[in-house]
Amino acid sequence: MKKLIIGSIALLLAGAAPAAADVMEQVKQRGTLVVGVKADYKPFGFRDPSGTVVGIEPDLAADIAKRLGVKLELVPVVASNRIEFLNQGKIDLLIATMSDKPERRRSVLAVDPQYYSDSVNVLMNKKAKYTNWEDLKGKTLCATSGSFYNKDVAEKYGVQIKAFDGSDKPLFALKQGECIGYLYDQTFVQGKLLDDEWKSGYHMPLPGILETPWIMAVKNGEDGFQKFLSETTIDWFKNGTVVEEEQKWGIQPTDYSLRMRDKHKG
Amino acid sequence: MTPERDPPFRPMAVLLPLRPREPEPLPRVTTRHGLLFVTAVLLIATVAHAQAPDAPAAAPAAEALTQAPATALTVIIKWLPLLMKGFLFNILISVLAMALGTVAGLMLGLAQISQHRWLRQFAWVTTQFFRNAPWLVLLFFAMFMIPYQFTVFGYVIPFPDWVKAIIGFGLPVMANVAELLRGAIRSIPNGQWEAAESLAFSRNKTLWLIILPQCVKRMLPPWMNLYSLITMATVMANLVGVSEMLTLTAEVHAAEGGRPELLAPLYGFAMLCFFIYCWPIDRATQYLERRFHVKT
Repeated sequence: MKKLIIGSIALLLAGAAPAAADVMEQVKQRGTLVVGVKADYKPFGFRDPSGTVVGIEPDLAADIAKRLGVKLELVPVVASNRIEFLNQGKIDLLIATMSDKPERRRSVLAVDPQYYSDSVNVLMNKKAKYTNWEDLKGKTLCATSGSFYNKDVAEKYGVQIKAFDGSDKPLFALKQGECIGYLYDQTFVQGKLLDDEWKSGYHMPLPGILETPWIMAVKNGEDGFQKFLSETTIDWFKNGTVVEEEQKWGIQPTDYSLRMRDKHKG
Repeated sequence: MTPERDPPFRPMAVLLPLRPREPEPLPRVTTRHGLLFVTAVLLIATVAHAQAPDAPAAAPAAEALTQAPATALTVIIKWLPLLMKGFLFNILISVLAMALGTVAGLMLGLAQISQHRWLRQFAWVTTQFFRNAPWLVLLFFAMFMIPYQFTVFGYVIPFPDWVKAIIGFGLPVMANVAELLRGAIRSIPNGQWEAAESLAFSRNKTLWLIILPQCVKRMLPPWMNLYSLITMATVMANLVGVSEMLTLTAEVHAAEGGRPELLAPLYGFAMLCFFIYCWPIDRATQYLERRFHVKT
C-alpha cells in the first residue's frame, strides 16, 4: 500500500512537470496529431456505424494533420473535459464546437480568426416564408427557456415567444402547430434539417443573427502552433474550405463562412 | 349474601416447550420475475415509441432491412456492433477494476488486523476514507489528477482514459473488499485462534492455513454482489468522457438526428444489456449464499 501511495505521488509529480518542448515539434516527432473533437454533434462531429468519428471538424483536423505531414488521431471530448484534456497535454488541439468566451480565452490559447460561427436562427414551417426578421412581428415562435437570446429577439423584432424546457418539447410544439418556427442555435437547426423527418416540412429561410464564433484552442504558451493554425484558418477561408465542408455535409453555408471566404479571397 | 359467581373461564396456562420461531420466508426472485421485468421494459419501450410524436409507421420487415426507414429496431441493429463494443468495454473496466481492487483490498484488509499499530491505523483510515467517498468523486479524482502518460527511465508509458477509470473504480472496490475481509476474519470464532495457538501454530500460519481459507466462502457472495454493483456503476464513466456504452448510446442518438422517439429504445437496450449480464451473477450470488450459509 505504501508503495502504491509513493507510486501515485510520483505519478502526480511526473504529471505536474511542465512540458517544455514546443507542441508542434512534439507532434512531428511523434508522427501523430491528437485532436479533441465532439462525437455527439451532427454534422460537426459524430460517429458512423463503424465507430469512426466523422464530420466537419474531423475533416478540418485531418487537413491540419496533412499540412503538418503527420497522422491524425481523434479523441472524442465533451464540454466538461475538453479544456482539462488540452491542459493535461492529452490532446494537442481542440476543435470541438467551443464558443468564444472571455473566460475560456484565459484558460486556453484561442486561434484567431475563429474558424466557424454559430448564430441564432429559426427552424420554420415551410408554409411560412419569411426571409426578414422584421416580418416576424406579432408571430409566435417556440423557443427553449433559458436561451440568452429569447428576450432580445422578442424585444427587437416584436416576436411572441413560447418557451419550453430542453429542445424536444419546443420541437414537439412546432409539430403541433403551436408556433410557426423554433428559435434556436443555427447549427442545431441545420442538424435537424439533415433529418428526412424535418427536411420535408421545414426550412431555414432567415439569415442567422447574433453570431457566436467558435474557437480552435491550443495550450497556453503554444504561440508557435497558434500562429501556424491562424495561417491555416486564413488559408481555409481563402480556399473556401469551410464552405465546401458545409456543403459536403449537407448544411447551408453560414453567413460567417461566406463572408470570411469573400473577405480573404481578394 | 350474594351468590358466589363463577370466575370467567380461563384456559389453563400450559408452558409449551420453547421453540424457535420459523423465520418468515422472504419472497425469492425467480426466473419468472426476470422474464416479467424484461417484458415490462419492452412494453414501456413500445408505449414510449407509440406516444412519440409522429412515429413513422413500422415498415414491413423485408423493406426495413434494405432501406431502413429508421424504426427503433433497425437503428439498434445498425449500431449493434458499436454498442456491443461499448458494452464489452464496460465489462473490461469492471473486471479489471475488480481485480485491482481485490488485490489491493486484501492487502489493506490484512493490514487492518496487523500487529503494527501504525500500519493498522493507516489501513483503517484509508479504508474509511475510500469506503465513504462517493464513487463519482473518486472517478473524477482519478481522471483529472492522474496524467495521461508518464515517463519512466525514458520510456513513455501512456495512461489512457480506461486505465484511469479502472483505478477510479478500483479504489472503492479496494476499501469495500478490505472491510469484507476484516468482517470475515472477525466472524471466525475466537476459539479457532486459541485452538491453533495451543497446537503451536504461529500467528502467520494460523492466519494462512486456518482462518483465511474459511474466509473465502464467507466473502464470496458479498464480493460477487460488489462486482455486480461496480459493473452497473461503470456507466458513470460517461461523465468523464470514456467511450463506454452509455456515451456511445448518446452519440448514436445524436447521429440518428436526436429524435425523441429513439430515446427510450436506445437507453432501454443499454439497460437490457446490463440486466442480462448482471442478473445471472445475482442469481449465482443467492445460490452461493444459501449454500455457504454459515450457522453460528
